[in-house]
Amino acid sequence: MQVTVKAFATLRNIMDAKCTEEMQENSSISDLLSTLMEKYPGLSDEIFRDGRGELKDFVNILINGRNISFLDGLDTRLNNGDIIVLFPPAGGG
Amino acid sequence: MTQMDGYAGKIAWVDLTHGKIDIQETPAELKRDYLGGRGFGTKIISDRMDPLVDPLSPENIFVFASGPTTGTGIPLGSRYEVSTKSPLNNTLMSANSGGTFGWKMKKAGFDAVVFEGRAQKPVYLYLNEGAAELRDASSYWGMDVHGTTDAFLSDLGDKKAKIACIGPAGEKKSLLACVINDHDRAAGRSGAGAVLGSKNVKAVVATGDLRIDEADKDRLNAVKERIRTKIQENGICEALTNYGTAVLVNIVNENYILPTKNFQSAHFENAENISGERMAETVLKKNAGCFACIVKCSRICDVDGVVNEGPEYEPMWAFGANLGIDDLNTVIKAAWECNKLGLDAIGTPASIACAMEMQEKGYIKDGPKFGDTAGIVDLVRQIGLREGFGAELTDGSYRFAERHGHPELSMSVKKQELPAYDPRGLQGHGLSYATSNRGGDHVYGYMISPEVLGAPEKLDPYTSEGKAGWVQIFQDLSAAIDASGMCLFTSFALDATDYADLTAATMGIDLDAAGFIRIGERIWNLQKLFNIKVGYTKADDTLPKRLLTEPLREGGPKGRVWEREPLLSEYYSVRGWDAEGVPTEEKLRELGLA
Repeated sequence: MQVTVKAFATLRNIMDAKCTEEMQENSSISDLLSTLMEKYPGLSDEIFRDGRGELKDFVNILINGRNISFLDGLDTRLNNGDIIVLFPPAGGG
Repeated sequence: MTQMDGYAGKIAWVDLTHGKIDIQETPAELKRDYLGGRGFGTKIISDRMDPLVDPLSPENIFVFASGPTTGTGIPLGSRYEVSTKSPLNNTLMSANSGGTFGWKMKKAGFDAVVFEGRAQKPVYLYLNEGAAELRDASSYWGMDVHGTTDAFLSDLGDKKAKIACIGPAGEKKSLLACVINDHDRAAGRSGAGAVLGSKNVKAVVATGDLRIDEADKDRLNAVKERIRTKIQENGICEALTNYGTAVLVNIVNENYILPTKNFQSAHFENAENISGERMAETVLKKNAGCFACIVKCSRICDVDGVVNEGPEYEPMWAFGANLGIDDLNTVIKAAWECNKLGLDAIGTPASIACAMEMQEKGYIKDGPKFGDTAGIVDLVRQIGLREGFGAELTDGSYRFAERHGHPELSMSVKKQELPAYDPRGLQGHGLSYATSNRGGDHVYGYMISPEVLGAPEKLDPYTSEGKAGWVQIFQDLSAAIDASGMCLFTSFALDATDYADLTAATMGIDLDAAGFIRIGERIWNLQKLFNIKVGYTKADDTLPKRLLTEPLREGGPKGRVWEREPLLSEYYSVRGWDAEGVPTEEKLRELGLA
């Protein structure tokens, strides 16, 4: 299956603003991030605490506009055609 | 004598009608119970004014006030507030601004200025090292904000003077008029500029170099270092340095809560074109900050050879997605035009958005059209000058839409236009909109922080459970921060204990986190009491019909509306108010207000 990944703000310094990834059936957000971290070596330091495992404070990942924190977190399953959005810590007012 | 508590020590009470100024010491109990800023304005107006006065009459009172941390060198301690009875919606409003004016007002010897009455001809107030003088401003009347500011600096021969002024919009008593300091820093909402215009006050000019001393320097230095580290290590503050507030355009859009075409949808297909990222790639020259700022979120942009400060996220959205416009240069030029004319850069474009939907639906003829960039900057100019079609919009979207028979198309709360977040996908933020003491507003209780950004923790934006308590804390903490003189953006990194420690060390008092928040709660309840006396009831604590009945159609929040109940009832309960939203005697006694 294919998913689209969009990156914003400082993440664009280390990865493409938009890309598509081929993923196996039943893949999760965690699987997708592993794929992306192989492709973009700087990504793990940007989004994970200590490089792996737990997301940094204020890092947000959306799947089709819904924050994965309120789904199954990094275990959230992907479906063909999903749009996944990665935000580093960012904000304003 | 130099104060040793962070304050300048004096308030200038200005009787415009008789041209007299009474300079008094800043009362100790006012400092203790209300700190400054929004607290000073709220208390002074509540004590001295009948809430039923006409806001554009001489009887209205207008307060400029800084806080104890303003100008002390505490990182991000730069803010001041204007407070008055709003001519837009009759609430007891306050609006906050940064830059350097609040600092300079204290260096000039004043914690606050209180205007009463009406001058017979245009005047400005000149503050200089403990002295205050009303001077003729006839030659400045009619000038725009940039022209006024530059003319004062030139005419006074004092490049260190700082100016807060109104533009033509304030002179014309546009209900979208604001007060602007340092060329482009707006105390933006609720029509405060019209009140100064009605009083024939063009500007306050502050100069001087008096000392600002804190009570406990050793303790304060330790707290300063602590908060400096917390701010520098905070990811959101770091992002504000890198991209400014406009980084939110893409974030909010991807969450499907970016109001588009007057809140008809919440996702703008071309948001990228008006984003902070695009700004950084194209027109950004450098970033800039307020006095003592270590974040420097402001943007300096160059558009077609013209260089100015701004815009922020709100006008980027309001002239962009909400008008269906994706041309960055047009958006920036229109936002800058607001600053030049002294117009609210949220309310002005939101009123244009309302007109565009009225045009689209055929309720008016020959109005502006969604997505049409031609004429937008000129329409802003007309709004500021109360000319042409701009005269239709210059008193805000509600009056315009009501006049044409469709008040439901004004996306406003208590007649003040809503900011850049669709509450159908943000239950807590929707409650904050519905209950804000100045109407449609995002900075009196910024629930975007937990519901979108994840600070101080992530809250599910689609649920209501527990949100009433969160909204109360955000509202009370924000009121206290506004009173202290600190920038609200520090709240991404600091907690109530940090603010209490800063304030206590500056003032030389005992104050803990609960005491700091309690000051905010006192301010909140006093504003609420004023609004009740004006005539506001529970029925006004709601959102536009569209947001209650028309579900969002895309993305995560698809199918959702804002659910007023049980949120509102729970909110009244956690506030200690009765079922109609009126503070109880017990609550008022607890806060020292009865």
